[in-house]
Amino acid sequence: MKKLLSLVLAGAMCLGLLSGCTSGKQPDPTNPPADKTDPPVAQSDASTEAPPTELTGTLKVAMWDLTADAIFSSVIEAFEDANPGVTIEPIDIPSADYGTKLSVMLNGGSEVDVFWVKDANTIYPIANRGQLADLSGYVSRDGMDLSAYNGQAEGFNIDGKQVGIPFRTDYYVLFYNKDIFDAAGVEYPANDMTWAEFEELAKKVTMGEGVDKKYGAYFHTWQACIQNWGVQDGQHTIMDTDYSFFKPYYEMVLRMQNDDKTCMDYGTVKTANLHYSGVFSDGSVALMPMGTWFAATMIDKINKGESSVNWGIATLPHPDNVEAGYTVGAATPICINSASDKQDLAWEFVKFACGPEGAATVAAQGGVPALLDDATLKAISSVDGYPEGALEALQVKNIVRDRPVADKVSEVDQMLGE
Amino acid sequence: MAVKEKTGRRAPSGQRTGMTLRRRRTLVGMSFITPNFVGFFVLNLIPILFALLLCFNKWDGFNPMEFAGLDNFKYIFTHKVFQQAVIKTLVFTMCSVAITTMLSLGLAVLINQKIKGIGIFRTAIFFPYVASVVAVAAVWQMLFQKDMGLVNEVLRAIGVADPPGWFASTKWALPAVIIVNIWKNMGYYMIIYLAALQDIPTSLVEAGMIDGANAWQRFWRIKWPLLGNATFFVVMMLTINCFKSFDLIYALTEGGPGTATTLLSQYIYNQSFISWDYGRASAAAMVLFAIVAVITLFQFRLEKKFSNN
Amino acid sequence: MPNKTPAWKKAILYAVLILICVVTLLPLIWMLSASLKLDKDVFRIPIEWIPSDPAWSNYQRIWEQVPMLRFTFNTFKVTVITTVIQVFTCSFAAYGFAKCQFRGRNVLFLIYVATIAVPWQVYMLPQYTMMNAVHLVDTHAVLILLHSFDAFGVFLLRQFCMGIPNELLEAARIDGLSEYGIYRKIALPQMGPSIATLVIFTFVTNWNDFMGPMIYLNSTELKTVQLGIRMFMGQYSTEYGLIMAASVVSLIPVVIVFLMFQKKFVQGIATSGLKG
Repeated sequence: MKKLLSLVLAGAMCLGLLSGCTSGKQPDPTNPPADKTDPPVAQSDASTEAPPTELTGTLKVAMWDLTADAIFSSVIEAFEDANPGVTIEPIDIPSADYGTKLSVMLNGGSEVDVFWVKDANTIYPIANRGQLADLSGYVSRDGMDLSAYNGQAEGFNIDGKQVGIPFRTDYYVLFYNKDIFDAAGVEYPANDMTWAEFEELAKKVTMGEGVDKKYGAYFHTWQACIQNWGVQDGQHTIMDTDYSFFKPYYEMVLRMQNDDKTCMDYGTVKTANLHYSGVFSDGSVALMPMGTWFAATMIDKINKGESSVNWGIATLPHPDNVEAGYTVGAATPICINSASDKQDLAWEFVKFACGPEGAATVAAQGGVPALLDDATLKAISSVDGYPEGALEALQVKNIVRDRPVADKVSEVDQMLGE
Repeated sequence: MAVKEKTGRRAPSGQRTGMTLRRRRTLVGMSFITPNFVGFFVLNLIPILFALLLCFNKWDGFNPMEFAGLDNFKYIFTHKVFQQAVIKTLVFTMCSVAITTMLSLGLAVLINQKIKGIGIFRTAIFFPYVASVVAVAAVWQMLFQKDMGLVNEVLRAIGVADPPGWFASTKWALPAVIIVNIWKNMGYYMIIYLAALQDIPTSLVEAGMIDGANAWQRFWRIKWPLLGNATFFVVMMLTINCFKSFDLIYALTEGGPGTATTLLSQYIYNQSFISWDYGRASAAAMVLFAIVAVITLFQFRLEKKFSNN
Repeated sequence: MPNKTPAWKKAILYAVLILICVVTLLPLIWMLSASLKLDKDVFRIPIEWIPSDPAWSNYQRIWEQVPMLRFTFNTFKVTVITTVIQVFTCSFAAYGFAKCQFRGRNVLFLIYVATIAVPWQVYMLPQYTMMNAVHLVDTHAVLILLHSFDAFGVFLLRQFCMGIPNELLEAARIDGLSEYGIYRKIALPQMGPSIATLVIFTFVTNWNDFMGPMIYLNSTELKTVQLGIRMFMGQYSTEYGLIMAASVVSLIPVVIVFLMFQKKFVQGIATSGLKG
């Protein structure tokens, strides 16, 4: 009987524990945001006077690929160097499972203070649950100029609350293989080219047969690699109910794979699990529209001796109705957990990482910071391993948001995937 | 009183035990179970009960939950993806259970021999179960590739003119997933049968040999009845595991193409980690649980009938 | 056991076994071959089974690029402790469920079995919240606790325990042995082969577990092998050659455990045969 009693006791304790943590969580979403918007405004006098005061404390920061991606670690290092009193405790999460684990941590009451959001569209459910601190107060207190982010910051303004600040940005450019162009005796692609010209160019540089065939172009299997050209002019979004603006590009790709045979067949790429970095770095394609992140991968592959391709970057081909420099891209924001009790310190980190110092650090690693100006562009293109002429190619006039931050995006994504 | 009589009747030495002895027996029995039960109760049962209660609530995992009555059930029962998931799960489970049970028993009998190098063969057959899902998924995706995959090359060689696209085809993705599932798990259940086969006293089998029974008769008359507990266990674990099957299918197809291989567990995953609707996920889990419970009770009945004979 | 099997029968048996093994070992062969290739060649079709220019450096790089040695040690620690606790508490409970009579036994057992049928996706969050409240997140203890009291082990051993003849136990009871004595001296040796089975399953499950460590561990120095393998899978590029090399290496302990304990099955023949 004693055992039974202790068992019941143990059970009761645990039930208490469980109800304790669920009820303990309940006040969070309603209260903290309220007093969190207050402090920056209330303290604004004090903090404008004393910004140079030594910051102290520990911050738990969540990100992915920490060991592989030098950008995160260098920004953290730079911040710790600038603020010796602060320790950053990184939580490194496998990139494929980032969204799942981040949400479990936030829901389960974990003490993470600051986190990057991996796919911009996953920010919406997190914001809807009230887990993102409103940073508007801090932004106005510190006079941060959000317009400097080339329109990327508005994407993280949800229901009037600035829930994230853009950290880095990635947009589509055209990667090309100089060796193939040289062999075909064709001039390298220009920075001002329409999609129709691109299609013609692909024909000129397609050569060989069978295993040795060099394809003129390569479109990766992501929907983005076709659909994005339909929204590139900034006049449509994948939220439109009528998808006819995608049609010309689907037709173009079909023409190229079936009639001209200038690009690899979609089915083959899909079922053979081909990776775009593989086909480009082993020199079997001449032209590949891909995100700016791929430059760092290429530099790395060449340094490791895994690839000997002589590559270049050009501006993304554009539709007839807009000029060169219109491209598609996405920003990676940093957010603060609304339940964190270190809001002020967390903001200092966000401000640093997304500000000029952070931008310079990102650029030094070959990444494209969201705070993008001519100086940073110059810094990026002079990173060791960047091809010549990259500075011109990286110029952008307008970045249309790839998978815009909107309520239904996840669902539409799922629908289009079917 | 009625309960006591019932247990008394079943206890082998019930007749000569008094009230205090019976109580002592309960205590002794409890003491065997307690170390495991405490851990089980606190770490598994409580969260599970909590999760199942969610089916009557609307909850995003963070904010206060709201009572939703039967709304979650109404939603899933009218959701076409859910209805299809139930049917596909049943098909997947029935095919996998039947074939895996037969194959694993066959393999266990085959491998339960005293011949040279048998340990290597056992290890080899058990291997698919041990191998990491990532590697398994990658290799099967290549083997099932439409134009140059090994499977289709074999099929073409034996005269199949137009072999299917397997993982790329909505019609053939489910059979392909079933094949990989059977391949991956048969070694695991073979081990259980093997352990059971080796628990059979050799004296019984030898007695059968002296009586002149051939191998076939010896198996069905002597061994098979003694494998009842193991078979019950295998069929039941297989049923439950097939219903819950997630990792492998996720790695192979992510539930696609379209929703061709979206089974109940994938549906539950989508509801909890993509839609963040724990109420609906829990309701779907309840349905899964109910189906498994019905099948399990049915099997328990069968087991009782077996052990009575 | 038949002592003399005709040679032709043996030949057929071997032929069948070898055929089966080729099918089951296919992914191992592929993994081995892929682990010696550069990323760009891993998914080449048709498959090149023997790489013409083997990249042995993959096996060196997995230790350099991430702290794989540390991860291996962590996994080993968690897996061994879990397996020991599980074998101990499960065999105890299994004996209680199979061979002790008491009120509520069957109901309790049904509850155990029923929980096996609940998918983890549903109760993962409440479990995490509980563990977070008692500050166990980001410790090895949480992984050990979560996997040590699996209902599956109890169910497995109980089924085998049922098969121990009651007469054997009854005789021991008459001899004056306590229930604990019977468990230790009679039931436990009888359960030998099934305990070996449980050891293998527990070891494999914990060694290969990815979701548990992924959700519960934050610090790099606590991470396990499966998480280490995931580190080669980045957002923009995946190093398949390294993943396969790490997978091959991570298989070795599991295969050793299997080879160690599968002998137990063979011994099982002798022991249970003598007593039955």
